[in-house]
Amino acid sequence: MRRPSSIVMARLVRAMTIWRIPGRRNHIENRSNREDIRMIFNSYVFLFGYLPIVLTGTFLLARIGATAAHIWLILMSLAFYAAWNAAYLPLLLGSIVFNYAVAIHMTRTGSDANRLWLLRLAVTANLGLLGYYKYTGFFLENINTAMSTEYTWQALILPLGISFYTFQQLTLLADIGAGRIKNIRFRDFLLFVTFFPHLIAGPIVHHREMMPQFQKADYRLNLENLAVGLVLLSIGLFKKAVLADGIADHVTPIFQDAASGKPITLVFAWAASVGFTLQMYFDFSGYSEMALGLARMVGIKLPMNFNSPLKALSIIDYWSRWHITLTRFLTAYVYNPIALALTRRRVARGKQGLAGPRTTWRAFMAIVALPTLATMFLSGLWHGAGNQYLIFGLLHGVALVVNHAWRLARPWFWPDTAHYQRITWPVAWLLTFLVGTLALTWFHAASVAAGANIVMGMAGSHGFAPSAMIGPDDADLSVLAGHGGELITFYLWIAVLLGIALIPPNTLEVMRSWQPAITMPAAAPRRPGFTLSPRWAFSTAVLAVAGVLSLGRVSEFLYWQF
Amino acid sequence: MDHPTIFSQLTELFRDVFVDSALVLTPDATADDIPGWDSMTHITLVAAAEYRFGLKFRIVEIEELTNVGDFVSLIERKTCDARDQIK
Repeated sequence: MRRPSSIVMARLVRAMTIWRIPGRRNHIENRSNREDIRMIFNSYVFLFGYLPIVLTGTFLLARIGATAAHIWLILMSLAFYAAWNAAYLPLLLGSIVFNYAVAIHMTRTGSDANRLWLLRLAVTANLGLLGYYKYTGFFLENINTAMSTEYTWQALILPLGISFYTFQQLTLLADIGAGRIKNIRFRDFLLFVTFFPHLIAGPIVHHREMMPQFQKADYRLNLENLAVGLVLLSIGLFKKAVLADGIADHVTPIFQDAASGKPITLVFAWAASVGFTLQMYFDFSGYSEMALGLARMVGIKLPMNFNSPLKALSIIDYWSRWHITLTRFLTAYVYNPIALALTRRRVARGKQGLAGPRTTWRAFMAIVALPTLATMFLSGLWHGAGNQYLIFGLLHGVALVVNHAWRLARPWFWPDTAHYQRITWPVAWLLTFLVGTLALTWFHAASVAAGANIVMGMAGSHGFAPSAMIGPDDADLSVLAGHGGELITFYLWIAVLLGIALIPPNTLEVMRSWQPAITMPAAAPRRPGFTLSPRWAFSTAVLAVAGVLSLGRVSEFLYWQF
Repeated sequence: MDHPTIFSQLTELFRDVFVDSALVLTPDATADDIPGWDSMTHITLVAAAEYRFGLKFRIVEIEELTNVGDFVSLIERKTCDARDQIK
């Protein structure tokens, strides 16, 4: 981390002029042929160019009036989006104008039936657009394989953040459909969708969470908001640039080896699998904290998206802590409708619903298993157009069903819940962690074959140690095979990151008294938390500087591809 | 239907779903206070309440029912709406 300042300056200048980055994964690489330019949270141009301009502009315009600042934030958010690929700005704007037109018609129509009809139209159109960009290639490929046909297609570049801005608008239309929103101004709608901290990768926010804030905010410089925002931004940046990108250097080569068909041995397979879980966690949790911080600087709070998911003691608990706003979205708009329809049918026929340990097998299948599997299947499909993502989704689906079945059945033979939890929590943690890790291995694999390669490696089918890969005849040594030292470094990274993820309270818990997010973790912190003091200023500055110095190689957030 | 009636009927319904005849509800009891109240049993509760009170909840209403008090007020509002429509 220690570098002479001249080198740092040179890198800074270089990074300011060259901010194209190569894709990380095969289907991103397809896209990077295009001349796309990325201005992401963890880039010099964002942190030292864009952000100061946005903040200065907002605070100065707020002196004229909140409306001026509000409009400035919309324009700057659109500029932020256009900096990635201006060609897709019209698509974003088109989507917004279409959905706003539907929204206005929905608020004006007097009849529930018309509103529902409009909502269905909008849902179809939005999902159609999303499906077109995300799945055309995937479906043609599967049809080609299944029917031995040879359809060809032009690889589409997935418009940045299309999933998130689509979901964002659907939540709003659903609220209007329920008659909960009576009218909405165009500029409020615009900021609700495009607000740059959450535009690209969430959190997926609700109208009721954001609109009152947008309307009340005066957008003036508020030192407390700025300080709290900067702290969140610095911690998030550190997590992303130092921790996630640091371990990624060890994770990526193994996944690349797996994709190219080299058998991955046990020690590497486990390191890659657990290593990627940690990379993903620090990447996305870092992003989410940066988003919280950026919004807070202009006085806006976003909902919590992560709550130490790796501490979860069940897979149900895991999903209530990992990507919380997506879980909330899927529960509300996918799981609930399916489960409710099935339960209504049962109740209407006089059949039993869930009834604790007395739940019948059929009730469990209809009310829990079927909707859970369907939801997680769709979640897998949403995460990526590839069969390995379906495996990711179904693994979680099956684990959730088993978890729910166990919850219902366990009291039969171990009635004392407190005693049960006290005795079995280490097993519960390990099982949860393993399921999460195994699922993420598929998630990150370039293909089903690559995923199977690593998972078989974890099971020991490809031998135990790296020495299995270093044969005298083997001229094409794996990057890692000859480097025992690198493997030790990798395991050290894993140990340290696992410690950080598991032991200390998380950022939101530490900063609880400053209300860093709209929704907060339930547990109260044991030790005194963050204060506006020199000690905390210094620690935060260290994190920020370490984060900025690690930005030489700008890497995109894993979730920006959805 | 008035508040106390809804409250007592809802208590009965919770007791059925959670198989706990001694369950006592308070208006601000949340899922954290009642063992077994998770996203799955929530749906059963909602469907059972729909059937008992003869109404239908909307998808967006369901996710907002975070405590017993919300449940009671929503049922109260919806039964009132239904009565107004009949008039």
